[in-house]
Amino acid sequence: MQFSKNWLKEFVDIKVSTEELCEQLTMLGIEVSDYKNFQSKLTGNDAVIKLDITPNRGDCFSILGVARELSALYGSKLYYPKPKAVKETVESPINVKICEESPAYVGRYITQLDLKKRTPLLIKERLKLSEMRSIDPIVDITNYVLLELGQPLHIFDRDQLQGNLRVRFAKNNEKIILLDEKSIKLSKDCLVIADDQSAVAFAGIMGGLKTGVTVKTKSIYLESAFFKPEAIRGKPRRYGIQTDASMRFERGVDFSLQSLAVKRASALIQEIVGGDFGPVQQFVNKAALPKTKLISFNPSRINKILGSKLTKASMSKILNRLGIEILSSQKRNVLKGKIPSWRFDLDIEADLVEEVARLVGYDKLPENSMKPEIRNKSDLLNQSIRSNFQSLGYNEVITYSFVSQDEAEFTNKKKELILIENPISQNMSVMRPSLLQGLLNTFSYNYNRGIEDLKIFEIGSVFRKKNKYLIIEEVLVGGLISGHAKALNWFESRAKFDFYDLKGDLETISSGLSFRQATFPFLHPGIAATIFKGKKQLGYIGSLDPKLMDKIDIKQDVHFFELTLKGFKFLDQNKFKDFSRFPLAQRDLSFVVKNDVPAKEVMDLIIQKSGKELKDIDIFDVYEGKGIPEGKKSLAFSLFWQAANRTMTDSEIDDIVEEIVSLLSNKLDAKLRTE
Amino acid sequence: MDIVSLTKKAKASLKKANDLVQLEKAHKELLGKNGEINLLLKTLSSLSPDKRKESGKALNRLKDELEQILQSKRNYLKEKTTLEKLKGEVIDVSLPGRISDLGTIHPITSTIFEISKFFNAIGFDIVSGPEAETDYYNFESLNIPEDHPAKDMHDTFYLQNDLLLRTHTSPVQVRTMEKKKPPIRIICPGRVYRKDFDLTHTPMFHHIEGLVIEKGASFAVLKGLLKDFVIDFFGKDIELRFRPSYFPFTEPSAEVDIKWKKGWLEILGCGMVHPNVLKMSGIDVKKYSGFAFGLGPERIAMLKHEIPDLRIFFENDLRFLEQF
Repeated sequence: MQFSKNWLKEFVDIKVSTEELCEQLTMLGIEVSDYKNFQSKLTGNDAVIKLDITPNRGDCFSILGVARELSALYGSKLYYPKPKAVKETVESPINVKICEESPAYVGRYITQLDLKKRTPLLIKERLKLSEMRSIDPIVDITNYVLLELGQPLHIFDRDQLQGNLRVRFAKNNEKIILLDEKSIKLSKDCLVIADDQSAVAFAGIMGGLKTGVTVKTKSIYLESAFFKPEAIRGKPRRYGIQTDASMRFERGVDFSLQSLAVKRASALIQEIVGGDFGPVQQFVNKAALPKTKLISFNPSRINKILGSKLTKASMSKILNRLGIEILSSQKRNVLKGKIPSWRFDLDIEADLVEEVARLVGYDKLPENSMKPEIRNKSDLLNQSIRSNFQSLGYNEVITYSFVSQDEAEFTNKKKELILIENPISQNMSVMRPSLLQGLLNTFSYNYNRGIEDLKIFEIGSVFRKKNKYLIIEEVLVGGLISGHAKALNWFESRAKFDFYDLKGDLETISSGLSFRQATFPFLHPGIAATIFKGKKQLGYIGSLDPKLMDKIDIKQDVHFFELTLKGFKFLDQNKFKDFSRFPLAQRDLSFVVKNDVPAKEVMDLIIQKSGKELKDIDIFDVYEGKGIPEGKKSLAFSLFWQAANRTMTDSEIDDIVEEIVSLLSNKLDAKLRTE
Repeated sequence: MDIVSLTKKAKASLKKANDLVQLEKAHKELLGKNGEINLLLKTLSSLSPDKRKESGKALNRLKDELEQILQSKRNYLKEKTTLEKLKGEVIDVSLPGRISDLGTIHPITSTIFEISKFFNAIGFDIVSGPEAETDYYNFESLNIPEDHPAKDMHDTFYLQNDLLLRTHTSPVQVRTMEKKKPPIRIICPGRVYRKDFDLTHTPMFHHIEGLVIEKGASFAVLKGLLKDFVIDFFGKDIELRFRPSYFPFTEPSAEVDIKWKKGWLEILGCGMVHPNVLKMSGIDVKKYSGFAFGLGPERIAMLKHEIPDLRIFFENDLRFLEQF
């Protein structure tokens, strides 16, 4: 809401500059988002002030409401409007039947209107400052009163109404064409104003087109109603119709305001347009009106919550200024506050705590530092994993958790996907089932901008449907590498990243991983593996399937992994173990095996026979070609032994080697290569 | 040859030697087994014992002297050779070294680390929870009933079976209160989602929210804690203010602004946990009070690194990421 400062000054004395005024409003919780001083031709120095009003403060959606807050802050008088009474000279042809949800409905019949009259310049200027269009004097006056008092008014063209009015719930699928010429179908929980024939207004939200005011209008019926917030809430959102009226009714309109608003509008109409006025008709069901709220509060508890030392008297004074009447209570130390009709947001003691705090000023309340406590050290943020990838040259990325359905189906079946019912766009309509999609998009985004070599990783949740009712949400780490392993340089030729670069990075970060050949529809049939730690499968690794690369136009090899973080400890807290100070014994052994035997299998057999003194085993050569029979390969291992308490002898090692050779010969038909 | 002319000749030939090969050759010629000194020594047998003794002494002196000269010349030539060899080994130190690239941590992650570190140090546990949430945990348990106008502030993405993408990390607070007895000090960082995509909104962003439930958790302590945090994060010269605001799950509610360039900038929302929220989560409101606060790492990172556009965080352009 935005409005003229001079208008506000008609309701409360303001002795400070616009800047200070705005600061005061903001510090009261009525945030000024913008303001501007300007010269008005009509009223001289003025300013336009724009407020961001929180949804709890429906009472501040008016000049009167804002003025009321300032008068409470200043402790000064609020100039409540006292409109001149307009005499009734005609009888009203209309009667209104109200219901529980509209316990107060004030109406007035006005006839002999001349809508060719012009709206006064001051009203026009103020409406414009409040971003409202000037339409005709009657509509302008109702908008003016709405802004001034916060009471939405509606006008029916009397000559279009059939018989009397009635506030009721809509019939199922009842149709109405609204003022904006849209036709909607209402459901049974929508409140309408109906004449004897049909619904003529969507109560509290928008009037109907048929009974709206036009240039031909001669007679009107002015409506100033109180609709219960519960009856209006949710409907504007459901039907996509937010109006100045609905915004106020949803948040709560002062239920003692209806007559005043009619009187104020009448006075303005008489002054500007003239006409003959019927009586002010008040249809009120007192029993159905909101009950006057009484809130008990304990001043010492308020002090405890605020950490303050305010006196009972000062709290009472503050609440009083806000229109809250203080009553004593039977209970010791407890007072009662009688809440005014415009404050829909005050229900419990905590609400009064805020009122006291607000008026004292949040900045004037005491502050105490918090005493530290022993902390639990944890690495829930996966900081160590992140810094490990960082030191290996990976850039961390954060990609959107939603992907397109096509992308999602690279990795998962349609039935496993979690769809968003109301997505931003088709490209963001499925929760990602894998980190692959986001990393591939990041790759392409950068590749298209000339960055062809990259190492990236992401840590984040992926989402899969377990069954109709259950979503599996799991935090994974995923990584992607592509392009050259090293920047262009003067000392070596540039190799391209391959599977073993990525695998090696994982092995650098975590020991004890094992890799088993596997196939995935989106990975290269020959270059893919599942990743295990012990018996637990953590994830997979591989190069992107060339067919998929073709399909999504990726022009260079891409290598990818993803792993669950659960149970995957990257950095174990190691305790010191004493180490041997005796010399290492080394042997190099080359074996010729069939070329489809995994190196790991050969290595495992070697380890099996090497004894507990084996400290290390490295593969230093893999060779196929000249000198090796067709269909075979040579694998060269370097083995290191070390005993804890002695130097190992050559003959000891010879015995071990002999056993290794015979085991490999038996199991794999492997031959020891002798140079 | 007599000793005098031999001495002359020997010294001359040693002097003449320009490198180690020539020097060793001269050495051999003079002092070798069949060198001239030995040859001369052999001729001494024809002399009288007196003369022989004298000449022998003289020759031995010469031999010592030559050895000495030889040694120092040898040292000199060795050093000269080394120096010459090293001269050829000069490298161009201006060529770039063999760099291994360090990666980078995303600025949002670093911001979350840094914020969490402050709170962790005074006893806040870091807690996480699901991003696909129920309406109960995301709204109802936080005092946001269906149709409440406050729900308009949260444009929500809906998933299957009444699940939704959490619009804040507050559900983690409720889940923690249900599971854990007070005292509670937690901080919950994570991704959150709202259906909004323009210059200043992305449909996914991050929240860090904190919760304290303990005896004596007052508005004064909340103020003190957040002031300490803001000073820790932005430096002691930062100006800040608390002003009233509204959140359905806190009462009283506040927002914290910092003075940034010329104006005030909102960076934190906070308040005393609403009694309805405490009661729903099974906290004894007679014994305990609590406060909560929340902030957006994106906004903080934008301030800290002077990043003008929010959307750049999720574009993951390496030219952006490599700056952090």
